[in-house]
Amino acid sequence: MIELRNVSKRLGDFHLDDINLIINDHEYFVILGPTGTGKTVILETVAGMYKPDRGQIYFDGADITTCYPEERNIAFVYQDYMLFPHLNVRKNILFGLKIRKTPQKVMEAQLEKMVTLLGIGHLLERYPSTLSGGEQQRVAIARALVTEPDVLLLDEPLSALDPRTKENFMQELKGIHEQIKTTTIHITHDFNEALVLADRIGIMRKGKMIQVGTPQEVFYKPKTHFVASFVGMENIYEGQVKEVNGQKVVQIGDVHLRVLTEEDGKVNIAVRPEDIILTQVNIETTAQNVLKCCVEEIIPQGPLVKVKLDAGIPLVAFITKKGAEEMELSPGRQIAAIFKTTAVHVFK
Amino acid sequence: MQKQIEKPSVSMGTALSEQQINQVEHKKGHQKKFKLKNILFQTGTIGFILLLCLLIVGALSNVLAKGMVGFLESIKQPEILFSIRLSLMTSVISTVMCILVAIPTAYGMERFKLPGKKIINTILDIPLALPPVVSGVALLLLFGTTSFGRMLAQHGLKFVFTVKGIILAQFFVNIPYMVRVLKSTIADINPRLEFVGRTLGCSQWQAFFKITLPLAKNGLIAGIVITWARALGEFGAALMLAGATRMRTETLPVSLFLNMSTGDLRLAMAAATLLIAASVISLFIFELLGGERGMLSR
Repeated sequence: MIELRNVSKRLGDFHLDDINLIINDHEYFVILGPTGTGKTVILETVAGMYKPDRGQIYFDGADITTCYPEERNIAFVYQDYMLFPHLNVRKNILFGLKIRKTPQKVMEAQLEKMVTLLGIGHLLERYPSTLSGGEQQRVAIARALVTEPDVLLLDEPLSALDPRTKENFMQELKGIHEQIKTTTIHITHDFNEALVLADRIGIMRKGKMIQVGTPQEVFYKPKTHFVASFVGMENIYEGQVKEVNGQKVVQIGDVHLRVLTEEDGKVNIAVRPEDIILTQVNIETTAQNVLKCCVEEIIPQGPLVKVKLDAGIPLVAFITKKGAEEMELSPGRQIAAIFKTTAVHVFK
Repeated sequence: MQKQIEKPSVSMGTALSEQQINQVEHKKGHQKKFKLKNILFQTGTIGFILLLCLLIVGALSNVLAKGMVGFLESIKQPEILFSIRLSLMTSVISTVMCILVAIPTAYGMERFKLPGKKIINTILDIPLALPPVVSGVALLLLFGTTSFGRMLAQHGLKFVFTVKGIILAQFFVNIPYMVRVLKSTIADINPRLEFVGRTLGCSQWQAFFKITLPLAKNGLIAGIVITWARALGEFGAALMLAGATRMRTETLPVSLFLNMSTGDLRLAMAAATLLIAASVISLFIFELLGGERGMLSR
C-alpha cells in the first residue's frame, strides 16, 4: 500500500498541493487531469526523483520520503519510454537484473517471461531507435516489470500511440495487470483510458487531488463542476432546491427539474447527455423530467449525434444517428427531452 | 438594357487590362532588379568563401611544400625526434588530465543546482578568453614566486622551466574546451534516462557510468581529439612557464620557433608540417563526431 500524506512540491510551473492519497495493493489507480496539472510530478515524487517540500510518502507503513529511487523498488515507464539508446532491446530489459547481479539462469527465465507477456521476442537484438512507438512502449514496460517491482508507474503510456494501437494496447495493459497484479499508478488526460483500466480514479486539477473514487462514482457522481465537465457531463446548471407537492425539484430560471436529493438551498446539478431521451410524443409523467424543447444544432460525432437543444435552459443530448434520422431532426423542430429523476446528479 | 450593361463592363475590362499590363511590366522591371541584386549577393558571398579558402590553403600548402623537401631526413634529426616525443608525451598526459577533471566538472555544472553557477561558468571560461601568454605568465607567477609554488617544488612538483610546466600550461589552456564540449554533450542526454536507471536499481555512480558516460562517448572522443590537437600546438603559455630550451622543453611548436629564430628553415618547416598534419587529422575526426555543434552551442 502506498500512502501520500499532505505531499506538497513546487517545481517551476508545476506544483503539488497537499496531496493525500492511498493506493491499495494490486490496485490499478489512474490519475486523471488536464495537461500541466502536475501529474508527472506526483509520479516522479513517488519514485524518488524529487523529495517533497512537505509531507510524507509511506510504502507498506514505512516512511520512504527520503529514500533514494534505487531503494524503493518502484518501476517507472515514461511517456517517451526513455529506453537506453546505446543498448539493444535484450540489454535494455535485462538492465535492472544485471545491476542486481541476478544469476544468468534467473535472468534468462525472467526475460522469457517478459517476452511472452509482451510479445516482443522478435525485437530482442534491435536498438530502440529502430522501433515503432508501440514497440518501444512494450520494451519499456518489459524493462520495468522484469525486476518484479512493488509498484509500476506509467506516465501517459498510451498518449503517443495511434488510436488503433492505443485501443489494442489498452486491453493488453488490462490483461497484463490482471495477470501479474502489480500495483499500478497510471496517469493520463484521457477519460476513456481511465474508464477502461482503472479500479479507482483520482482527478487532479492545478496540483490538487479533487476527487477520488471508482470510475462509476466519478462518472456519475462528480463532486465539483470541474469534475462534472471533465467527465463529459455537458448539462451542468446552478439552481435552487425547492419542494413542490412533496416532491423535491431544482429550479433553474423558469425550469423545474425533479430530483432525488438530501441537499437543500443552492446546488449544482448535472445530467449526462446520453441519459436524455428525445421523443416527438407528448408524455405526461411524474416519475420523469419532461422538457419541451427546440432543436438548435445537430452535430454528427461518429456513430452518435450530438443534439443541442433549447429547453429554457441549454441542453445537450446524445442519440444514435439512426434515431436522429428516424425522428427527422432538424434545427427549429419542437420535441420533448425526457430523463429520469435518478439521472439528475445533485452536488453542492 | 443588356447592351448598356455590357458596354461599361467591356470598357472596364479594357481599362483593367491596360492597368494590368502596366503592372506586369512594372513587376517585370522589379523582378529583373531583384534578380540582379540576388545574383550579386550570392556571387559576393561565394567570392568571400573562396577567397578565405584560398588564403588558408595557400598559406598552408606553401609551408607543406617547403616542409616536404627532405621531410624524412628532417624528422630523423635528433632535435625533431625529441620534439615529437616530448610533444606526444606532454599532450597525451595533459589530455588525460583534462578528461579526468572535465568529466566531473561538466557533469556537476550541467546536472546539479549550484549557487552562483553563472559566475562559476564565467570563471571556468576565463582561460578561453585570455591570450595564452598571459595564462603562462599567471602560472609562472603562481608557481614561481608564491610560497604555494615553492612548497609544491619542494615536494617534487616543479613547474617552472620544466616538462611538468609544459603539461600544466597545456592543461590550463585547454581545460575550458574540454569542459565545454562535455557540458553540451551531457546537456543533450536526458536526465530521466539516469533516473529510470536508478529506479531499476542503479546507484548514482552506476547510473553515470552505465548510462550517461556511454551516451557521452562521441562528445568525449571529440573533446579528447580537439584537446589533444590544441595541446600539441600549445606555445604561448608553455613558453612563459617552461621556457624554450633546446632539447629540454622543446616541443614541436617550440622547435618551430627556435629553428625559425636561428634560420634553420628545413627543420622549422618539418615541425610545421607535422603540426599541420596533426591539426587537420584531428579537425577531421572532430567534425566527424559532430563536435563542432557541441563547441558552438555553448
